[in-house]
Amino acid sequence: MSTNMAENQQINPIIGASVPRIEGPEKATGRAVYTDDITRPGMLHAALLGSHYPHARILSIDTSRAKALPGVKAVLTGADLPLNYIGMFIKDQLPLARDKVCYSGEPVAAVAAVDLATARQALRLIEMEYEELEPVTDVEEALEPDAPVIHEKRDEYPTMYELPEEPNAICFTEFMEGDPNTAWDKCDAIVEDEYLVPAQYHMYMEPSSTVAEVDGSGKVTLWSSTQGVARSQMYTALALGLPMSKVRVIAPRIGGGFGGKCEFTNQPITALLAQATGRPVKLTFSREDDMTMMKRRHGGKIYMKTGAKKDGTLVARDCRIILDGGAYADESPEVSPVAAFFSQGPYRIPNMRVEAWSVYTNLSRASAFRGFGNPQATFASESQLDDLADQLGMDPLELRLNNALEQDDKFFCGKTIEKATMRACLEKVRDASGWAAKRSGGRPAAPGKKRGIGMAGMSHISGLAGAGANVLLNEDGSVTLNCGAVDIGQGSDTIFTQIVAGALALDMDQVNFAAPDTDSSPYQFQTSASRNTYTIGRAVKKASDDVRDQIYRHAGEILECDTNDLELRQGGVVGVKGVPDAALPFIAIAGRALWQEGGPIMGTHNWLYTPQDRMDPKRMLLRGFALMPDGIGIFTFGAQVAEVEVDEVTGQVEVLEYWAAHDVGKAINKTSVEGQIEGGIVQMLGYALTEEMLWDNGRMINPTMMDYKIPGMADAPYKIHSLLIEEAEESAPFGAKGVGEICAVGPAPAIANAIKNAVGARVAQIPATPERVLTAMQSADDAD
Amino acid sequence: MKYIEPASLPEALEILSADDEARCLAGGATLVAMLNADLVEPSTLIGLRRIDELAGISVSGDHIRIGATTTHAQIAGDDRLTGNAAVVRDAARQIAHSAIRNMGTIGGAVCHADPNADFPGALVAANAVLEAAGQSGRRQIPADEFFLDYLETSLEEDEILSAVMVPVEPVGARGRHLKFSRTHGDYATISISLVLAINSGACSHARVAVGSAGPAPVHLAEVDALLTGSDLSGETIKQAGQKLMEAADPVDDVRGSAEYRRMIIPGLLQRAVDELR
Ligand SMILES: Cc1cc2nc3c(=O)[nH]c(=O)nc-3n(C[C@H](O)[C@H](O)[C@H](O)COP(=O)(O)OP(=O)(O)OC[C@H]3O[C@@H](n4cnc5c(N)ncnc54)[C@H](O)[C@@H]3O)c2cc1C
Repeated sequence: MSTNMAENQQINPIIGASVPRIEGPEKATGRAVYTDDITRPGMLHAALLGSHYPHARILSIDTSRAKALPGVKAVLTGADLPLNYIGMFIKDQLPLARDKVCYSGEPVAAVAAVDLATARQALRLIEMEYEELEPVTDVEEALEPDAPVIHEKRDEYPTMYELPEEPNAICFTEFMEGDPNTAWDKCDAIVEDEYLVPAQYHMYMEPSSTVAEVDGSGKVTLWSSTQGVARSQMYTALALGLPMSKVRVIAPRIGGGFGGKCEFTNQPITALLAQATGRPVKLTFSREDDMTMMKRRHGGKIYMKTGAKKDGTLVARDCRIILDGGAYADESPEVSPVAAFFSQGPYRIPNMRVEAWSVYTNLSRASAFRGFGNPQATFASESQLDDLADQLGMDPLELRLNNALEQDDKFFCGKTIEKATMRACLEKVRDASGWAAKRSGGRPAAPGKKRGIGMAGMSHISGLAGAGANVLLNEDGSVTLNCGAVDIGQGSDTIFTQIVAGALALDMDQVNFAAPDTDSSPYQFQTSASRNTYTIGRAVKKASDDVRDQIYRHAGEILECDTNDLELRQGGVVGVKGVPDAALPFIAIAGRALWQEGGPIMGTHNWLYTPQDRMDPKRMLLRGFALMPDGIGIFTFGAQVAEVEVDEVTGQVEVLEYWAAHDVGKAINKTSVEGQIEGGIVQMLGYALTEEMLWDNGRMINPTMMDYKIPGMADAPYKIHSLLIEEAEESAPFGAKGVGEICAVGPAPAIANAIKNAVGARVAQIPATPERVLTAMQSADDAD
Repeated sequence: MKYIEPASLPEALEILSADDEARCLAGGATLVAMLNADLVEPSTLIGLRRIDELAGISVSGDHIRIGATTTHAQIAGDDRLTGNAAVVRDAARQIAHSAIRNMGTIGGAVCHADPNADFPGALVAANAVLEAAGQSGRRQIPADEFFLDYLETSLEEDEILSAVMVPVEPVGARGRHLKFSRTHGDYATISISLVLAINSGACSHARVAVGSAGPAPVHLAEVDALLTGSDLSGETIKQAGQKLMEAADPVDDVRGSAEYRRMIIPGLLQRAVDELR
């Protein structure tokens, strides 16, 4: 009907307003219902037995004593389950290991009993006999020719792409642009380093949890802590050998996900236990079970070399990324390609080659995690740019400004940039943080401390996959939105409600957000890829516009006017422009549609995120981008600055203040956007400084919140300045782009660069624990 | 498992000595977590909270008596704990988060004897005496002799810790518990508990203990003697720190390597002294 520009001019004020979370009061008062709060009649409680060994053959499992324990209703092992392999890109895993275990903690048996204590007691009665195999725990060792093979049957698994030859490789990707081999001669300064990144645990507050129930017809219903009901439905159906029409998944309130609850967690095994017992079953993990049995971010090694001219023009980069995919592939075949894709950063580097591997190891499963490979690559890339700036004697922010991608440039692999806002982000964060003054000394440090400031630039995507939305006009003129999107705590229920309210000029309480339920919701991929506001929001907006158009048609007939002369008035009223008295409430339209003319008013929209252009094969060599050669979303940009103090005695780093400039297109809810940015920064403060899952010969040594430390309130900077750049994106609902992941891409390098500015030492391994920082400080001293 | 809440100490002691598998429950911050993790399976839990005599802080003559069931929060909030006793208050203030400080008790903390905990070093630095009650009477154990090893104290199985007595002397002293940890609220990677009295520039009293540096607080009479009477010059403190570092026997764990922990002791000692001066 109209262009975005025209629509933008009359955006309803609810768009952009810091409306409180619609589920805020129930969460704050403890009334929110999470999966573990659900109880069904006759419900059993389940627990899983994890493998003791990281790599071993299962010789025998004796469950007889466990089965004999009073109160135990079922004990399942791998042999009891159908051989239905599941997995996103490679179907390489079973809900319970069979024949062989590939990580310590891998579920080998499941018990359902009348209560949790009995289920746990039964686990202790299960006798396992293993033949230990040598574990593979290092990514480079995994690729060596004589490495123990983790998946002997790898080549038999159903796979969606071509596997590399190396038997422990999950995937290999190579991108090349220009001529990186000869370009080094043109460089005046070259830096080369090796970077180590840790396995980070998602640490959602709510551990994975599912309640499963089978009805008289054999249909399975799940309530589950998931990032996507349709994904949980699909994997559960696959594992059980049922059509998806026999599986229903409902998402209650979710206590965080961060990527760890994408695809599947414990849904399949809970459903299998419900089938085996004929009774509802609840499986909620303890924190330790969740940490040892579930997923995590890819750790790994990155080799990077970058060269520039004297004036700071970037010329060439070579990069090799090896990510630890853990025991099963999960999302790895996409994570390492994304890491490769973002290893150039938001800059022009005309000659660039990158190869990226994901490899199997005998450590827990690596998966999606906020940023999806990008934080790893960007840690290396942004650390290296600072070292290059130091070598050139240039200000690191200037170096980035000199090379920032502009509107006429192409992103790596020849992709079109929708809105080049990198420069705007850099300038904004520079000015807001008082960069120049702080960089040249600034405020003095506290006694015994050294103060420094550092920055990072970043890009990411917002988009991905299919989304649908239905908006129904209720008989009383209120509306119900059903889009199947799961709010994992980031606030999308509120955002979508605002979008509907904004599109139809309704008040917030006139819009009902229907809970995600595969029995009634339209298809929704899942909450991932910074896609809810942008991708799902667009479907929600267009479904709302569809309702508006239908309302206009009715109103035009009733008021006998052209629909172009109609307008929406706040609170559910349609009227004739310039004629205040000519107005109809939505209830009148709904009544006419339901009882007189036309039938129920339902707006609907569905779409698939489709990129503008493909990666350009003429421009570059492309190998092994598993699934999405066309692109995974529109580009977003950001720049962040961290100010830190480093303790000279202990090496401990404190982040004092933080500035984050992000291009969000349009903030639908300003407070919510700021919350995303602050949350992403604090979460990645942990990645930068304290968080790392540790294994000793394949056994995790810190699977508790006592030993694995995330930052708390008192560890967060006293102020995080969220600086929003709002340049409306044409393809987006009201111009809004996702910011959930990009904010998490920058903190590790920004902090590492600030450490270097403070103490003159490069910490190339994160987390930058006090010990690592002190060691780096000492070796920098020794070098002087 | 039985749960009993006796109203008096003799009653509690009787239950404890009659049953080898019985265990005292104070704040439960540690014990309940251990029960949940199936690390202990006592036959009986003896709840101490109804025993008035174990609760609260009182000042009597030459010492401050802190009852065993006094919570960390109560200790942290009591401004009578000054001078020599300030180090104990400073330690209490830094234990975990307020939820734990409201639950956990000094008796539970010292009886658990986690070498990474904050009270053990502070009590050694304050030259505190622990009072153990048994069916045959009470005995007084200097803090130095109370903490034996990792999770091991000199308390007998049928004894209950009744109180911690912190000397008031030396009156002009100042105390500091310098805690260094990975994040706020974590156990210490290294802690320095220090009591100093300074008279016209010279140190007239010094007691220092290092926590998280071995199976029990590291305390060397030699170091106290080195500091006492000195002018606390950088050189002296360096020597003191060196000696403590050599005596330390920390473990390698998620909080840091043994070598690192040892390495930062001298610098942290200097900082603790600077903060008290
Ligand atoms: C998350 C968390 C963080 C923590 N962080 C810190 C920290 O930073 N620093 C620190 O110092 N501590 C820390 N702690 C430990 C905390 O101080 C505990 O409160 C303390 O160790 C136990 O005190 P309680 O009263 O809860 O004892 P309980 O858990 O009730 O008992 C502990 C043990 O002491 C025995 N016991 C208790 N009272 C007596 C008595 N009067 N006589 C004989 N035996 C007794 C019990 O039988 C049991 O074996 C932390 C604990 C938790 C859970």
